[in-house]
Amino acid sequence: MTGRSLTTHLVVALAVFGVIAAGCSPTTSTALSATGLEAQPDGWRGIPIDLDRELPDVTLLDTANEPVELGTEFLGDPTLLFFGYTSCPDICPIHLAAISSAMREVGVNFDDMDVVFVSVDPDRDTPERIDDYLANFNTRITGLHSDIEVVGEALAALDLPGPIVEGPDPRGEGDLIGHPAQVIGFDSDGQAQRVWPFGARRSDWTVDLPRIIDEW
Amino acid sequence: MNVAWWCSSTGQVWTWRYTPFIGVWLVAGTMIGGYVYSHRRAGRALDPKRTRQWVLGVLALFIVSEWPIGQLGVGYLATIGIGRYVVYTMVAAPLLISGIPTWLVEQWFPQGSRRQRALATLTYWPIALLIFNAVLFGTHLPVSIDTLKATQLGSFTVDFLHLGAALVWWWPALRPAHERNSIQEPIRAFYLFASSVLMFVPAAFLTFSPLPLYGLYELAPPLWLSFDPVQDQQAAGIVMNVIGGFVLWGIIAVMFMRWAKEREAADTVTRRERDARTLERIAALDTDASPSDAPSATGPTQP
Repeated sequence: MTGRSLTTHLVVALAVFGVIAAGCSPTTSTALSATGLEAQPDGWRGIPIDLDRELPDVTLLDTANEPVELGTEFLGDPTLLFFGYTSCPDICPIHLAAISSAMREVGVNFDDMDVVFVSVDPDRDTPERIDDYLANFNTRITGLHSDIEVVGEALAALDLPGPIVEGPDPRGEGDLIGHPAQVIGFDSDGQAQRVWPFGARRSDWTVDLPRIIDEW
Repeated sequence: MNVAWWCSSTGQVWTWRYTPFIGVWLVAGTMIGGYVYSHRRAGRALDPKRTRQWVLGVLALFIVSEWPIGQLGVGYLATIGIGRYVVYTMVAAPLLISGIPTWLVEQWFPQGSRRQRALATLTYWPIALLIFNAVLFGTHLPVSIDTLKATQLGSFTVDFLHLGAALVWWWPALRPAHERNSIQEPIRAFYLFASSVLMFVPAAFLTFSPLPLYGLYELAPPLWLSFDPVQDQQAAGIVMNVIGGFVLWGIIAVMFMRWAKEREAADTVTRRERDARTLERIAALDTDASPSDAPSATGPTQP
């Protein structure tokens, strides 16, 4: 094989490989959001909410099965509210890990702010299971649950879609459940201020958490 | 069965379901097949030692590029991602370079050809040092990782760059002394040591950053619930720093000791030759002096 033909063969092989590989490339949620959130004009990373929305006026249960009035219980401090489920393989653990670790990083503690996790999977998420799950991130995250109708009311009050069964979990852990992927931030008066969609990184939270404490 | 061309971040939940990467099999097969074919074409027998080195180099590439290591390293764990880089650059590349016989280099890069000139330029040691470190720094920037490893083509490009830069970098250090651009001690030790020191820079960023640098690993579905991307990143920095540095310094030490041994052997030969010459000179002096001494030794000659 001459020098020129070897080079030509290599170039052609690489080009063919590249075209095939490019054709096979998947576009994924992780790929699209891996760079984190864009800074807003006001410097926040969370996206402002223009609509007038408050903490939903529903009664849920904590992990001791005591009733919790979502609309009033958390007034007085800023609140981060998130709807998810303990079997969630990606969005829920990523959000909760990012928030809890960023709180440690910037020195925000749970006396200054509430983080509330509401289960959208009442069939599997028993109070004990919610407690065990949240202990992986921080034991002071508030875990709430209730019948799916009550949780649906809370979601509807915030214009969020209800949970849907998406099909079997590839890990063999029952079904995957589609649920809202954003964290909603409420000020001390219970007024929704901003949302953090999936893709919010720890670095985004370290920018916003001090401002939440100072300004909300 | 899922099939892909090359490992990339898919954003999918990790499962232990085998996903073969066809491109990896193809590249490995081409490297082994091409090596054997080149020997057959040239009518040369395979040298067992060099063949072993070449095959081990390809095997190292294959293992860290195929499922599951390739997929875990590109899409889930920075530690394994950096481990892949260390294997590409510190294990596979030197094995591959050592496995190429000189005649094959001359065949692939004929004297006076453009390819040979390009190789000569790329493997000139200051340029090779620059290329290796530019690729090291460039491909470990967060924007590079987050963008390129999200697609199969991008991920392949990164792996190709890692291997290419490592081959260029090892070339002057490992090719035989009589080949062009080959460097010897003490420049070689400095050359390799300089890169090991520069490698500390990205490793330090990984180890000491309080926040996850790579969104790709931070936002990937976690392999276990209490997974912490910062701890993973710190482990990745340690892998680059300690394991990468350890392997490289080990190689530097072996090469340096081998060089020292060769020098010592050469010195011994030189000393023996000098001693032999000295003895010859003494013997010659003795011979020159012998006519005047002869009468006293043998008695006067009879007329």
